[in-house]
Amino acid sequence: MKERRSLCVVKVGGSLLRDGRSYIESAENIKKTFVDADRLPIVVVSAAKGVTDLLIEVAKGSKKHLEAVTEKYLSIASEFSSPKLSRRVHEELEHLKRVANTISGSFDAALQDLIVSFGERISKILMVEALEHVNVRAVELNARELIITNNIHGDASIDYVATANNLEKIVKPILETSATPVIEGFIGATEDGAVTTLGRGGSDYTATAIASLLGIDDVYLVTEVDGIMTADPALIPSAKIIKVLSYREAMEAALHGAKRINPKAFEPLEKFYGSTVFIGSWRTFGTKIQRELPADLAGPKLVMHKTSGDIPYIAIIGEGVGNTKFLKMIIDIFYEKAFSILGIQSYYYRPSILVYVQKTEELKILRELHKSLFEGAKP
Amino acid sequence: MRNVNVVVMGFGNVGRAFVKVVSLKRKMIAEKYGININIVAVGDSKGVAIKKEGFDEYELLKMSELPRSSLHMFAPYGRQEVDIKEVYRETEPHIHVELTPANYLTGEPGYSNILFALRNNAHVVTANKAPLVLHYSEIMNEARSRGLSVRFRATVMGGTPFLEMLSSMKSHDIERVEGILNATTNYILTEMHENLVDFEQALKKAQAIGVAEADPTLDIEGFDAAAKLCIISHVIGKPINMNSVYRESLSKVTLKDVLDAVRQGQVIKYVALLDTQNKVASVKIVRLPKDNILAQVGGVLNAVRVKTDATELFFVGKGGGRIETAHSVFDDVLSIVLEKVIGK
Ligand SMILES: NC(=O)c1ccc[n+]([C@@H]2O[C@H](COP(=O)([O-])OP(=O)(O)OC[C@H]3O[C@@H](n4cnc5c(N)ncnc54)[C@H](OP(=O)(O)O)[C@@H]3O)[C@@H](O)[C@H]2O)c1
Repeated sequence: MKERRSLCVVKVGGSLLRDGRSYIESAENIKKTFVDADRLPIVVVSAAKGVTDLLIEVAKGSKKHLEAVTEKYLSIASEFSSPKLSRRVHEELEHLKRVANTISGSFDAALQDLIVSFGERISKILMVEALEHVNVRAVELNARELIITNNIHGDASIDYVATANNLEKIVKPILETSATPVIEGFIGATEDGAVTTLGRGGSDYTATAIASLLGIDDVYLVTEVDGIMTADPALIPSAKIIKVLSYREAMEAALHGAKRINPKAFEPLEKFYGSTVFIGSWRTFGTKIQRELPADLAGPKLVMHKTSGDIPYIAIIGEGVGNTKFLKMIIDIFYEKAFSILGIQSYYYRPSILVYVQKTEELKILRELHKSLFEGAKP
Repeated sequence: MRNVNVVVMGFGNVGRAFVKVVSLKRKMIAEKYGININIVAVGDSKGVAIKKEGFDEYELLKMSELPRSSLHMFAPYGRQEVDIKEVYRETEPHIHVELTPANYLTGEPGYSNILFALRNNAHVVTANKAPLVLHYSEIMNEARSRGLSVRFRATVMGGTPFLEMLSSMKSHDIERVEGILNATTNYILTEMHENLVDFEQALKKAQAIGVAEADPTLDIEGFDAAAKLCIISHVIGKPINMNSVYRESLSKVTLKDVLDAVRQGQVIKYVALLDTQNKVASVKIVRLPKDNILAQVGGVLNAVRVKTDATELFFVGKGGGRIETAHSVFDDVLSIVLEKVIGK
């Protein structure tokens, strides 16, 4: 029997799930980081790397892609040398095939969701096996029974009341068996039982919704990178990991196209219990996202650029950057370096400043701002 | 705390759902009623898993993750082949739960299993209709003579307590029972009307989402609905034979029929009827005006209209669905425990 406060939510991203070996590595890390520390993680899994894209092609009628999915999952399953597991995965793939065979000419969003859902369904089975393989007692939960959504296929929203009810009912049995539950991210079902998917980054949304609705303090989103960076490291190699962000800052960054943050994932956290979200890799969870920031952590957190239409803009994101003093500092930088400003947008209540700039100067400005804001260079 | 040993035969859709529901709810039941529901053995077509002391929650959950026909691989409890004698000798069950497939020619394996259970002093809960349809009196007499119960509310409108309600209407003379008793065919018809697809396409979709079996014969040819009428007839004490039910095949319905009906403000439904006054029973394709109450029952919903000499009732609910059916089975188990096992 485990205590309720030992619960946490851990989402394992698809980029980490490539082959049998990587499922076991994830399982070992779940064991080391959480189970051995006496915590009971609710594990949310994505489909194995690349599978969702293949399944989208399957939903368009491609037999070739169906074969690719089949081969991929059967080969991962075979790495465990468990006849039970191979048969189970085979059964699921047969089911997928039956569904795929019903595709007729016209596009059917409900059918596409059903087909795509097999990516997570099979991944879950593999993760449970991997956990058992490293001696962690693990059981499957079924997202299609627990996560209730509206019927917007492809981009469904979670029905928080119905889902909270379902989740609340299984918490006690989970704590009693102390077995690590594993659930599919990204998928759910309507009240009528039709399978839905939650849209891009939907697994994060599943994870935060579960945590928030059950009042769980910590959500861990595990990917390949150690955290969210002050800028895109491909452009600015000196970019650093941001230690703490507020929900508002994270959502603002997502709005302007930041990778690895899914704005929908913050909805349950804002509406219900405000769990803390940790983003990172098995090496380190570098970034912590929380509801409120202590006053001393206000200020710029990251810079990014976005080219929408003809005029690109630079976004500087952070609580309090809309104040007059900070604005003046930014304008001073532009003035000193003789960059032109084509437009500027800032509201005192938003955690961002947008500066519209010339295409030719875009990257130079980004670097300059990063240097003065995050690398201690005097403007 | 009183221990109640339960044996489950059949581990398909309903069997798995039942085992899972028990694992999630048995603690709650224990707290509320002071009884421990112990699942001591589970069998499929290839083998059994036996644990005399009863499987714990974790084991039950792991069991429901097994692939088909794999109970024998459930280490260390699994065994090849199903020997019901061995199961009973080792576990001494109080209640037998029969969730095997329906075979309307022989009633097997349900018929033999149920008689074996009764003869070994176990109460019976069945979702399998065939043994009841073919051998109702024999089974009931066997049970009565031993003071045992046979419950089967999952067999008709499986997700609802319809049969319980019907059997409690003891002062009524039930004249007519009419309705949509098969979820698969109702889903297919709804698909045809709503998406204007032909029968084959609708059937394929039903199979894809798991509403229809790979072999849909029992549903499409009306056997399932006829069997349900037969069980209803026994419950109200006016038994009919399943062979005497007139059946039409739903596969006759074309998309053109549907379009014709719709044009005339009608809906095509697959309606089962038991008319005890004229002693006729049928499962037929009928056209109903759009505003008829049965016409409005879509998808996997079922509905029945019961006319008695005193009143008329209308009952709507989920026909099947593994989870709903599993709850009906569980409810039967609990009502036996509360009335018979504990009371004794
Ligand atoms: N599905 C529903 O919603 C629903 C609703 C109401 C009533 N029912 C009735 O409930 C029963 C079970 O339905 P289901 O959907 O669960 O069927 P199912 O998925 O076909 O499962 C049948 C199970 O019975 C096992 N079995 C077959 N022969 C056996 C034998 N000789 N001894 C022991 N086990 C045997 C099968 O073994 P394998 O696994 O090895 O094949 C399988 O586990 C049926 O009679 C059905 O009509 C179903």
